[in-house]
Amino acid sequence: MKNLRAVITAGVATLVAVGAFATSSAHADTLQDILARGKIRISVDPAVPPYSVMDESGNWTGPEFEVARKLAADWKLELELVPTSPSKRIPDLLTGRSDVVVSSLSITDERKKVVDFSKPYTVISVVVGGPKSETVTKLEDLIGKRVAVTLGSTNDADLTRLAPAGVEIVRFEDEATSITALSSGQASYYVTAPALLIAVNERNPAAQLEPKIVLKNNIVGVGVKKGEPALLEKLNAWVDAGMADGSLNAIYKAAFGLDLPPELTQAK
Amino acid sequence: MTYTFDFAAGLAYWPLLLQGIWTTLRLTLFCTVFGILIGALCAVIRTGGPVWAQRLIGLYVEFIRNTPLLIQAYFLIFGVASLGVRLPILVGATIALTINIGAYTTEIVRAGIESIHKGQLEAAQCLGLGRVQTYLHVVIRPALERVYPALASQYVLLMLASSTLSSVGVAELFGMASRIQSDTFRNFEVFVLLGILYLVLAVTVRAGFSLLGLMLFPRRRKLGTPL
Repeated sequence: MKNLRAVITAGVATLVAVGAFATSSAHADTLQDILARGKIRISVDPAVPPYSVMDESGNWTGPEFEVARKLAADWKLELELVPTSPSKRIPDLLTGRSDVVVSSLSITDERKKVVDFSKPYTVISVVVGGPKSETVTKLEDLIGKRVAVTLGSTNDADLTRLAPAGVEIVRFEDEATSITALSSGQASYYVTAPALLIAVNERNPAAQLEPKIVLKNNIVGVGVKKGEPALLEKLNAWVDAGMADGSLNAIYKAAFGLDLPPELTQAK
Repeated sequence: MTYTFDFAAGLAYWPLLLQGIWTTLRLTLFCTVFGILIGALCAVIRTGGPVWAQRLIGLYVEFIRNTPLLIQAYFLIFGVASLGVRLPILVGATIALTINIGAYTTEIVRAGIESIHKGQLEAAQCLGLGRVQTYLHVVIRPALERVYPALASQYVLLMLASSTLSSVGVAELFGMASRIQSDTFRNFEVFVLLGILYLVLAVTVRAGFSLLGLMLFPRRRKLGTPL
């Protein structure tokens, strides 16, 4: 995955470099443009459940959309949502199709070469899910328990690296088989994205899984085109304010049942 | 071709491979012993037991031989677990594989039993051998000896088929190799290595069967000819 991502990022970088040069002179200051327009264009991918999805009735829902709506509301601007896709998120910025990206864009060194990021406003976490009735707070508590993970996934690699000896790791061919194992009771712990725990609970209400331990957090920021210090500064102030009054945490907690990690909520 | 081969990357994970080989071999050994026991018993019943028992075993053999092993394993590991009986995964997989190979063995041994000439049974009767003695010395042993090569092939196939069980969470050789390749991205090397390992394992299992055959069947050892 990491290699693939690097290749994509590099590819995107070269592709859009030309485009960026072509449009950069036209927009000297995006923030001024936004304010003059009274409207902010935000790229969000509507196909990343549960972070941002289009539901059955055609509404865009999910925490990422909430964050985008909050940003527009806080800045008293009209919101124009620009539907995007994982590979188009950065090109959207560089070609000026949108002003900012709020679309599960985790902050990576490769991406930082191409775009700027605001302070992190949320995380995409990998968690150990377990039954509500059991008290498990650290990896050592898992010794002697059966933990399901999908064979060869990045979650597998993280768990294998971090889990102490004595944790029984069972690796299944794909997420679907892992979920089958969980819903049939063959394993009671599951290392995955918090969203998939909800999927297990839906299939087997008796499982009652909840996030127990956060294995890893990928921090996510608002993506901005490079060379927009005014916009970036305003975004950072907005993230700080959202963290200070707990509103960003509330969006995350409503979606995943977890608080944001303290390094985000207490960042200064 | 700009690909640089790096077999060392896969070999560096040798403890994992060794664990996988051990699991595969243990699985094969256990299933071989119990498979032959189940197979021989069922074959005897199927050729000479009461009619209802013959029918029952016929059903078992047909059902198992005409459904995929993977479905049988899924059923035992996930299906039965939904009812509340939670077998450990390796145990569930071993049972599935034993039941599966038992059905194949039944058919092979049955063919062996049916190949025993009626005259042999009459001779046994004339010699005053009891029913159990007749079965043990005149029927089963020569029958097994006759179908021994077919049995050996079936058990090598069993060892190879155990590779599908990685998808139900058994950490056997193939499952370990999948982990290694997702760690190293060395697909070509890991799977070539895996192929070689399975080949060596198959040859080993076959050699084991040949040796066992020489031990079990003195006729073959002494005369060197098949029955």
